[in-house]
Amino acid sequence: MKRTLFIILAFTLIFSLGSLFAGGKQEAKVLNFALSGDPDTLDPHKTSGTLTFQTLKSLYDTLVEPDMEGKLIPSLAESWDISADGKTYTFQLRDDVVFHNGDKLTSADVKATFERILSPDTASPKAKEFGQVESIATPDANTVVFTLAKPFSSFLASMASGWGAILPKSLIDAGHDFDTAPVGTGPFTLTEWVRDGRIVLARNPDYWMKGLPKLDTVIMNVIPERAVQVQGLLTGQVDVSYIIDKEDIPILEENPDVVVQNDLSALILVMSLNCSRDYLKDLRVRQGINHAIDKQTVLDVAYGGGEVIGTFMDSGNAYYKDFTSLYPYDPEKARKLFREAGVGDHEFKLFLPQNYELHVKAGEMYQDMLTKAGLNVQIQLVDWSTWLSDVYTAHNYDMTVIGHTGKLDPNGTLGGYGTGGYVEWYNEEAAALFDKAAVTSGYEERKALYDQGLEIMAREVPFMYLGSSYRYIAYRSRVSDFRMTPKVDTFDFRWTEVK
Amino acid sequence: MNFALFFLKRLLRLLATLFLISTIVFFVIRVIPGDPALVIAGIDASPGEIEAIRATLGTDKPLAAQYFSWMGSLLRFDLGESLMTRQPVMKLILQRLPLTLSLAFLGIIIGMLIAVPLGVLSAVKRWSFWDYFGMAFSQAGIAIPSFWLGIILLLIFAVRIPIFPLFGSGTLAHLILPALSLGFARAAVILRITRAAMVEELGKEYIITARAKGLTEKLVKYKHALKNAMIPVITISGIQFGYMLGGAIIIEQVFSLPGLGRLFLTGIYQRDFTLIQGGVVFVAAVFSFINFLVDILYSLLNPRITLE
Repeated sequence: MKRTLFIILAFTLIFSLGSLFAGGKQEAKVLNFALSGDPDTLDPHKTSGTLTFQTLKSLYDTLVEPDMEGKLIPSLAESWDISADGKTYTFQLRDDVVFHNGDKLTSADVKATFERILSPDTASPKAKEFGQVESIATPDANTVVFTLAKPFSSFLASMASGWGAILPKSLIDAGHDFDTAPVGTGPFTLTEWVRDGRIVLARNPDYWMKGLPKLDTVIMNVIPERAVQVQGLLTGQVDVSYIIDKEDIPILEENPDVVVQNDLSALILVMSLNCSRDYLKDLRVRQGINHAIDKQTVLDVAYGGGEVIGTFMDSGNAYYKDFTSLYPYDPEKARKLFREAGVGDHEFKLFLPQNYELHVKAGEMYQDMLTKAGLNVQIQLVDWSTWLSDVYTAHNYDMTVIGHTGKLDPNGTLGGYGTGGYVEWYNEEAAALFDKAAVTSGYEERKALYDQGLEIMAREVPFMYLGSSYRYIAYRSRVSDFRMTPKVDTFDFRWTEVK
Repeated sequence: MNFALFFLKRLLRLLATLFLISTIVFFVIRVIPGDPALVIAGIDASPGEIEAIRATLGTDKPLAAQYFSWMGSLLRFDLGESLMTRQPVMKLILQRLPLTLSLAFLGIIIGMLIAVPLGVLSAVKRWSFWDYFGMAFSQAGIAIPSFWLGIILLLIFAVRIPIFPLFGSGTLAHLILPALSLGFARAAVILRITRAAMVEELGKEYIITARAKGLTEKLVKYKHALKNAMIPVITISGIQFGYMLGGAIIIEQVFSLPGLGRLFLTGIYQRDFTLIQGGVVFVAAVFSFINFLVDILYSLLNPRITLE
């Protein structure tokens, strides 16, 4: 009996010592990341989900990509050339890129990728972004030439977005299931995906950026409750969380091992006004609504702070123009405008997307402020699917609260406004300006056109423009250089290190 | 009435139930607002792209055609593919089932482990400290929402005294706290039933007989009375098990567990028609089949039941 016990003890000791040494020599660098939801798929061409594209950045690459200033820089393409008429884009591919399955990247892969996106069988929700492509030529293994039907100045920005991810031709031809088994050229490969549980990524040793990525493993833990993410940060079970709320900041900042960082998001937060509805047709009523809202207060209380905007563009954007002085907070003036328009006690329905806690909070403040200015506003909560079908697609609403996400190119933000859209706002002059800007090249030239268009939108107010909010991320102090690409908000773990 | 006819009648009832449920769920989820194609397309897609997505999903076909094709595949025991993930619904369910079932089992076991001893104690020592404690416990158990208890348990046993993991899945340790928060409320109900059943049994005449025979108080209470009192307790616990599956939806959210509840919840949010249909039919089929088996077993054990 004693002997057996001794042998067991001895073995335990040897094994634990063994693992101690093995662990001490070269510890794997593992980052525990908190993800707030599960991606719907890992196929970059079959989704429109923001969270999905944020995740896919680590698995796939695009021909060009945005840098931390939002400028487009070379990625899989080492250089490119745009013809003078803006219709031909010639990309030179890097020579040292291999896919996760060992295939070497060539122009044939790029061609097959875009044919896949444009094929009706794929039914890609983002096919429109490449709709101008007329033909794709591959003069040699490293050169791809896209010919467009007409100039399209946001073409390069589409190339740099998640939906422009390049896949290997051999697997496209074989009908490979990219939904669950992603194969790209990205800095990490997929080790494990437990749906609604975790996504485990392993370092791609053959990544074309030499010396990157620096982490061995990224574990993306799906943690839907923000409170649990915050506790995870405090106890060290979570290294990085990107959905920090203003109310969480005090306890996080109290902890010396946690760093909270904020920057301005590229969100355009608005209350959308359906311009085809009774009284909202009347410009005076829409102006009154813009006067009735104390914008900075709503930004601070509901969205955790931010910068007020006066037109349909995020305040940090290179194309932003300041029109905030047009509608200062003035409930008396609002009341007067409502009276002039003869609104009376007409009931306006304000639809709030229930899954967005912050929009709901803002909506309640709007209702309160509008009521004080004499408007009868009733709130209706709807779930996201209902919002998409009833509000966004069927335009069956008076007012709604939403945030438009950032785009790499202003055409993505403004294209199509003035021709109806979900706010039912028609303005030929603005629509013509936005159309013209979409085919114009050069920042100065485009800026001049967008300035005029944004001014019309600021004066005509199909929205109550609120602002762009701050975004808070928090991480353990052992983490350095976790990046979130501006505007598109993708997670970039390539430079990230842990101590 | 012979057994074969009884068997056939029960089988027909099972099939009719499943047919009705699958029909009802098919139409109900199409009546509520929402369109899976719009969820996939997001807010920047053009009408053409949305049409193309509808075509690949098959939701562009007439309702009747969709209904019959779904019913047809059901007859082949095929639940179809999830619209959002393009994975077979059966596979998605079977991936999640073990976790949710173990959570529910563990929950009911914890519930009974708390409730039965406390319930017996309350009955045996009526109007004592333990009885009042039991009453207070069951009041609290029914009043406290399980998600709140879940968060409190996490704060205490995963943050303050970190003996359990805060999130993740795969080991028994990940299931203890969620099972505890599920089991707590169930314990409240089981406790009341145990106490009532035990009090009733102790008042019966066979107990007097047993005492008259000169058996020790221990034997009388814990062998004779307890054994009989357990019958309603087991029945109620079985019913509580059904509640557990429902409660698991919220608890899985709080504890970040990849179980059935989260799967169905996401399915409903995204209007993943095939997933919701498949999920409802699957759960209904399991419950109806268990009922069917129990009916058959009862009638085999006790032929009087067959006569109805």
